[in-house]
Amino acid sequence: MTASNEYRFQVNLSGMIQILSNHLYSSPKVFLRELMQNATDAITARKEVEPGYQGEARIELTGTGDQLTMMVEDNGVGLTEADIHEFLAMIGQSSKRGQQALLDGETSFIGRFGIGLLSCFMVSHEIVMLTQSIKGGPSMEWRGKPDGTYTIRQLDTQLSPGTKVYLRCTPDAAHYFETEYVKEALFYYGALLPYPVTLLHDGVQSVVNQDSPIWLTRPELARSCRAEVLAFGERLLGEKFQDFIPLTTATGRTGGIAYVLPHAVNLNAKRSHRVYLKRMLISEKAENILPEWAFFVKCLIWTDELQPTASREHFYENEKLEEVRSELGDALRMGLADMAENQTERLQKLIRLHALSMKALAVQDQAFYAMIHRWLPFETTRGHRELGELIDEGETLYYTGSIDEYRQIHHVASAQSMLVVNAGYIYDKELMAMLPVILNNVQTERIEPDEVSMTFTDVAPAERNQYYDALRLADSALQRFRCRAEVKGFKPSDLPVLFTLSQESSTLRALEKASEESTDLFSSVLGSLSAGINSAGYSTLYLNVNNPIIKRVLTSPDNQMTPIAIEMLYVNALMMGHYAMNKQELEVLNQGIVRFIDWGLRANTDRKGDA
Amino acid sequence: MKTEMDFEDLMEEAYQLPNGPAKLGFLEEAARVADVNGMVEEAYEARSEIVDAATFCGYPMKALIAFSWQLGKFDQQPELYDEETLLWSYKWILGKMPDFPEISREKIMELLEDFGARFKSYGYSERSYWYYRFRIFMDFGELEESGRSYDKFRTLDRDFMSDCEACEQDEIMRYFMLKGDDEKVLEVAKPILKGRMSCAEIPHLTLSEILMPLYRLGRTEEADKYQVKGYRLIKGENDFVQSFSEQMEYLTLTNPAKGIDVLEETLVLAADHEDAYAKMLYYAKAAPLLRRWTEEKESEGYRMRLPASFPYEGDPGDLLKLADYFAEHAQTVAAKFDQRNGNTHVSSLIAERRI
Repeated sequence: MTASNEYRFQVNLSGMIQILSNHLYSSPKVFLRELMQNATDAITARKEVEPGYQGEARIELTGTGDQLTMMVEDNGVGLTEADIHEFLAMIGQSSKRGQQALLDGETSFIGRFGIGLLSCFMVSHEIVMLTQSIKGGPSMEWRGKPDGTYTIRQLDTQLSPGTKVYLRCTPDAAHYFETEYVKEALFYYGALLPYPVTLLHDGVQSVVNQDSPIWLTRPELARSCRAEVLAFGERLLGEKFQDFIPLTTATGRTGGIAYVLPHAVNLNAKRSHRVYLKRMLISEKAENILPEWAFFVKCLIWTDELQPTASREHFYENEKLEEVRSELGDALRMGLADMAENQTERLQKLIRLHALSMKALAVQDQAFYAMIHRWLPFETTRGHRELGELIDEGETLYYTGSIDEYRQIHHVASAQSMLVVNAGYIYDKELMAMLPVILNNVQTERIEPDEVSMTFTDVAPAERNQYYDALRLADSALQRFRCRAEVKGFKPSDLPVLFTLSQESSTLRALEKASEESTDLFSSVLGSLSAGINSAGYSTLYLNVNNPIIKRVLTSPDNQMTPIAIEMLYVNALMMGHYAMNKQELEVLNQGIVRFIDWGLRANTDRKGDA
Repeated sequence: MKTEMDFEDLMEEAYQLPNGPAKLGFLEEAARVADVNGMVEEAYEARSEIVDAATFCGYPMKALIAFSWQLGKFDQQPELYDEETLLWSYKWILGKMPDFPEISREKIMELLEDFGARFKSYGYSERSYWYYRFRIFMDFGELEESGRSYDKFRTLDRDFMSDCEACEQDEIMRYFMLKGDDEKVLEVAKPILKGRMSCAEIPHLTLSEILMPLYRLGRTEEADKYQVKGYRLIKGENDFVQSFSEQMEYLTLTNPAKGIDVLEETLVLAADHEDAYAKMLYYAKAAPLLRRWTEEKESEGYRMRLPASFPYEGDPGDLLKLADYFAEHAQTVAAKFDQRNGNTHVSSLIAERRI
């Protein structure tokens, strides 16, 4: 029996780097972030041992062409030889540590040191690190190559504690080593860092990040430094903002500034907020840190309580994130509530730009709705109006449930100066339905197109009786269109007929239309479906007794003429209502026109014959 | 005036909206404008969008109507349109067919064959055909036949027309759920729960589906976590009415008060739903929830907040009567499904069981 041998997987490092650069990180440019992160972690760790210690990071660019080199230095804790072996020689070790640290509640400084350093292979074929640990021991040099080999040696000289990383730029990464680029990138990642970051190039030295403003730690103070906060937002987020709302959470471990976007936003637009974890930029496209409805703001957020994903570009969707999200949402809501009470003009401006956002929020939150309802805009038969104005009219607010319904009735409703709100737009229907719940003295009522008739004047039974024969002829003519006739009086009187259809008959029309166009198989499938709705789906053709022509049609029933006139009025109503007609209806239209021309001509020759 | 916008404006408006009735309103209006003006290609474009939006927000009938029209146009002049997009939507349409009890078993099988033939004619993998066959027989409650298709489709290669892995995995999970194998359900769900497989609808669907299997295995602590997470993902979304029913079923047993919250928050979405199957399941789970709630002290004098459009005329404070209303609706619809399927699969799915 042979003993089984145990082997170890060989991991191809250049393959790993390929994976890192193409899949884990969004772009090679993150190497700088990873280096800054390592520096920050090292400084933070040193501060824990030596409270009050003043950390700093220096970045130096030297050489040109294939000698172009970047050096990143920090005065943090540094690494001992044992640290190097543990964290740089074994890939995956450090991230495992991170997991453990997460369970312990805090991420240790060394966190993901190794994997972060690896990202440098995306821009450099060699990484040299010189380091001196505060724990003492000799200064060390580590040299790594992307093929997975590395060397370690002790230095003869003793360096001061800290770490220096040297990168020699590869030809296709030259762009990432340009001074202006590096300067921008350092600000971008490190604008909020609590220690100075210095860039050295051609003998010129500049501090990339200014002193951190007081409102970074206490967002509630931001209101009193308005201009400064706005300017900061403009520099960091690249937009000229005019308004903002400070964000705070109960623990104080997450805070931020919500800048109100100065332009309207698409509801489907990606929400991108800029989030700093322990003062280092972690994401510029964090979508999940604020509630869905907060699409009218772009936020700067800093936190030290959320867990980043492996790429450090997003956060894990966990309970903590959920808690933070709802607290930030509350802060935003409170900010708006405060405006509603104290600065209505500011709120009005905001609502004009971001009406959809406000409506989305109002649907979810009745108290908020009650607060801001007056300024929400709606489309009505009396033009675009704010809800407050509509309420002041003191009438019942009728609203339609869809744009289609509104289209059907708005002519008639406007002619009768009836106030109808087009609630077919997103959220409007829900808001209209909720309104009486939040305001006691307001009535709203959903109106169906076939209910517009309730504002029509009824025709007295005795009068209706006179039209009995004409109506019977009309009904039988309309039956094949699944439509029935009714006599009413309504404005405007030059409108002879009005066609309305219920939701169901609307579906039926669509079914028939599609069925005519489709394959045999699908037509028969649609047929099975329409059989289910057939019974209820009758539409109505209202004949307007106030109209002189209708009056004539009604008072002189004729077995031959009346059905044709009614059919023509029916297709005319369809055209007026911009309905797409099916084949049968088009035929009626065509034949009808020809027949009327024929009659017209014949009447003409008859008259000539009389003369 | 907005009511007379032209085609481009309407489409523009529609693109800015998330899926939902408002977006559909614009798209239907756009299709109508195109029809009236004889703009056939524009009408086709608008209907593509209708199929997409309607499929994912609870309007399978609207999707079917628009798709039927498209398919007819496509067959007349296939060179004018993109077959990939159209046949991709065919999958959605086919998947929803069994949810209409009015459509006979024979018709659905004919559609499946039509679908298969079209896929074949463009050289796509047969996997899609067998996968949908697997799903359809599951819907019919014929698990043996479904199982045969399951074995078959897994041996065939995926291609770019296949459903995504996460969606397939979810359907496989459903299969074992119907077979009553809770352990296996959780095993299949694992890659989804671990986050290794996901898409626009997964894990959303999965997180509600596994609640009852977990409950039956006594793992309520895990289930509670997934319930919260799952509900957050689907809240307010029209597309997840069936998931709401699974949430309610679980909460009936573990936290009826929370179940009532779910019912009140989602009823407006369910009541307006075109998918008869999802709506039936929802109503079927609402009934026992209400009954269970009446056993709680808090429920005394409680009046259900019903949506304004809800057709129930009775007293919203009479919870038992309301429960009957839900149950009756569910049973009537289930009977229609049973008749179509020629078995009692659907009514046994919604039968109230005490666990």
